[in-house]
Amino acid sequence: MSMANSPPMKDRIRGIFVRFGFLLIFAGFVTFFAAWNPVFLQGQNMLNIVEGSAVLLILALGMTLIVATGGIDLSVGIALDFGAAFAIVAMKEYDAGWVTAACAGVAGGSLVGIMNAILVVGLRVSPFMATIGTFFIGSSVQRIFTNGGGPISHRRMPDGFREIAMGDVMGIPLEVIIAATLALVYFVVLEMSVWGRRVHAMGMQRPAAIVAGIPVSRILIVAYIVAAATCAVAGLIGAASIRMFTPLAGFSYLLDAIAAVFIGAALHPRGRPNVLGTVAGVLFLGIVTNGLNLMGLNFNTKDALSGIILVAALALAVAQRKLR
Amino acid sequence: MTEAALSLQEIVKTFPGVRALDSASLTLQPSEIHGLVGENGAGKSTIIKVLAGIYTPDSGQLRIAGQHIHPITPASVHDAGIRFIHQELHLVPHFTVAEAIFMGQELAGPFGLRKGQMRHRAEEFLHDRLGVTIHGNRLVRDLGTAERKLVQIARALIDGQAKVVVFDEPTAPLASAEVKTLMDAIFRLKQQEITILYVSHYLNEIMGICDRVTVFRNGRNVAVFDDVDDALGPKMISAMVGRDLDDIYPARTRSFAETVMTLDKLTGPGFEDVSLSLRKGEILGVAGLIGSGREELVDTLYGLARAKGGTLHLHGKRARIRTPSDAIAQGVVLVPRDRRNDGLVLPMTVGENITLATLDEDATFGVENRAHARTRAARKVSELDIRPANTGAIVRFLSGGNQQKVVLARWLARDADIFVLDEPTVGVDIGARAEIYSVVNRLAQDGAGVLVSSSDPGELIGLCDRILVMLRGRVVAELDPARQSMDDLIALSTGATNAPQGQEVPV
Repeated sequence: MSMANSPPMKDRIRGIFVRFGFLLIFAGFVTFFAAWNPVFLQGQNMLNIVEGSAVLLILALGMTLIVATGGIDLSVGIALDFGAAFAIVAMKEYDAGWVTAACAGVAGGSLVGIMNAILVVGLRVSPFMATIGTFFIGSSVQRIFTNGGGPISHRRMPDGFREIAMGDVMGIPLEVIIAATLALVYFVVLEMSVWGRRVHAMGMQRPAAIVAGIPVSRILIVAYIVAAATCAVAGLIGAASIRMFTPLAGFSYLLDAIAAVFIGAALHPRGRPNVLGTVAGVLFLGIVTNGLNLMGLNFNTKDALSGIILVAALALAVAQRKLR
Repeated sequence: MTEAALSLQEIVKTFPGVRALDSASLTLQPSEIHGLVGENGAGKSTIIKVLAGIYTPDSGQLRIAGQHIHPITPASVHDAGIRFIHQELHLVPHFTVAEAIFMGQELAGPFGLRKGQMRHRAEEFLHDRLGVTIHGNRLVRDLGTAERKLVQIARALIDGQAKVVVFDEPTAPLASAEVKTLMDAIFRLKQQEITILYVSHYLNEIMGICDRVTVFRNGRNVAVFDDVDDALGPKMISAMVGRDLDDIYPARTRSFAETVMTLDKLTGPGFEDVSLSLRKGEILGVAGLIGSGREELVDTLYGLARAKGGTLHLHGKRARIRTPSDAIAQGVVLVPRDRRNDGLVLPMTVGENITLATLDEDATFGVENRAHARTRAARKVSELDIRPANTGAIVRFLSGGNQQKVVLARWLARDADIFVLDEPTVGVDIGARAEIYSVVNRLAQDGAGVLVSSSDPGELIGLCDRILVMLRGRVVAELDPARQSMDDLIALSTGATNAPQGQEVPV
């Protein structure tokens, strides 16, 4: 019995690594980047990282929800584009006020979620194929609408709308506040609520969830629409910051959003997709990108390096989980 | 005395805090089928893992045909001709039968894989050595469970070097009709002078197939039986549990009240015109082979399948059940036959699984009250003596009996009044079975109506107040377990005899 009370030194070191492993990796990168270029640690740069991560975080939250249901959403970028397009068009063509425009954007993005829900729940297409279908259709619709993909700019948008991207509250950019609020809401819904528990249960083992009386179809419909509406908010921020709608702009976030969610799941003690993990994943990607930028690496090398760092960090996170 | 085909002598294996094997021995004679039985935790799986070279024993030795094997490693036992048919299939679903059998031991020539030859050899082996015809180009995922098991056996034996084959719970995933196919194949192997170690929870299988039986308890061999006869069953059970277990079934001291569920000529996928009534306090059994419509009836009662005709009354009122949530809302709950797939969310904890159907009751404005939920779960864990007594344990790692108790605990937490139990003790060892029966008995005593659908005649006779027998989609007989025997039940459900009162059963 005395064996159990005093674990050998090796186990203790292992225990520390298990609990703080990813934090150590994280700290390692921060130290490395800071040593290379002191600018990295400056408040303004930190703020840049956070601000630059806001749009990705919002998309990754929607993705977290869908991955938690046991699916994947390849059309998050389309929902973002639709959010931006509907808002810009509402203001430009219909002189809508900023509130109406924002609502139009969210409603437009939700159409993407409705489409996914019809395919996944109504026609029982697998989420991967359904959302890839939505992605193709959504991309084409944008090209047709813009006669081949030219941006729709709207320089004189209402100040209220412009504020979504440019405003701040006590020095904190509004887009950061929006992203943080959404993260908080997602955390409460996905990790603390009854609904979230059901989402996780059906994501892990659908047949058992059905027998337990969980209304899986209803949950899926809500999840796809909520996720798309969330992504549309990211579209509003994008539209407000560049004062235009750029077709197919959302696509560039897709792989980062997936990466962030799976980094987050790898960090979870039981490998579940989760909101805190996703936030950590997004910040990790933001820090690596920013740090490599400050190192002044050329664009081509940078992508390879972020890939290597990402894979290494994930391998460590998984090894860490195995030690538990 | 001929040399033993395999002998493990005085094996000791300790884990921190546990003496898993305490000088355990096991001897197999050439070309015999040797049964190994014992409750969960008796050391069966540990000694199999020692034999497989997965665990290194602290002391003791292994001899194969007189040859001392040291060290015991996966490679050394493989070279000595020992093969393992593990409980899990480990087959790639998208492979063809031939590809699956030759995976890792492919036949190749100067022009690449010899696909035709592999297919031919695979089919030949399945046919000549195992007695089944399976086309080598079929996909593994299209095979039935028994066929997959045979493919798994072929994969282990195709190199022709096997001398001893260890079967670890081979029939656990099989429906009872499929068990015979597997048994026939095992008999054939015996005739080919292969020695077989057969590990199983199912004592009737052990008695049906084995020449000798070793019983393990508390990490050592406590008995070896050389004669397989009718008296063996009780003898094995008392050796396994270390005491006489006259009756694992609770006494029938229940009293019945009003009818809670009535089916009138209910028709659905796979069954027709099923009429029955279930009273409060009653345990009603449903017997029937695979394909008798028994499983489909259960699914329909719980909204997993849709009825096509007839009526259902719950508590005297006309009711419709379209989905499991409909069923639960009307007090009908299901303990499903496929516990690991449908009953439990395996990666979740004991607590999470128990509270999955009562989430709303432990929540304020949709936000969970974790402390409440944990208390609720902990109460059920101690009530049903679920082990480990830890709501944070992951359900996947619990024994079959404890997993089943978790499923029961979920519904006990909900105050349901009609319990549908489908194969309630599949893959559950004898000690835990007795506990599950006593829980079911308590449920009925507390006024629930219980419907038990089972392929185990002993269980139905021992537990139920009445038994309906289904054959080809219809109820063909009603049986009184107090007056009729297992033989009657088997005869009726296989269609060997007709129901005493004719085809239709008045309810």
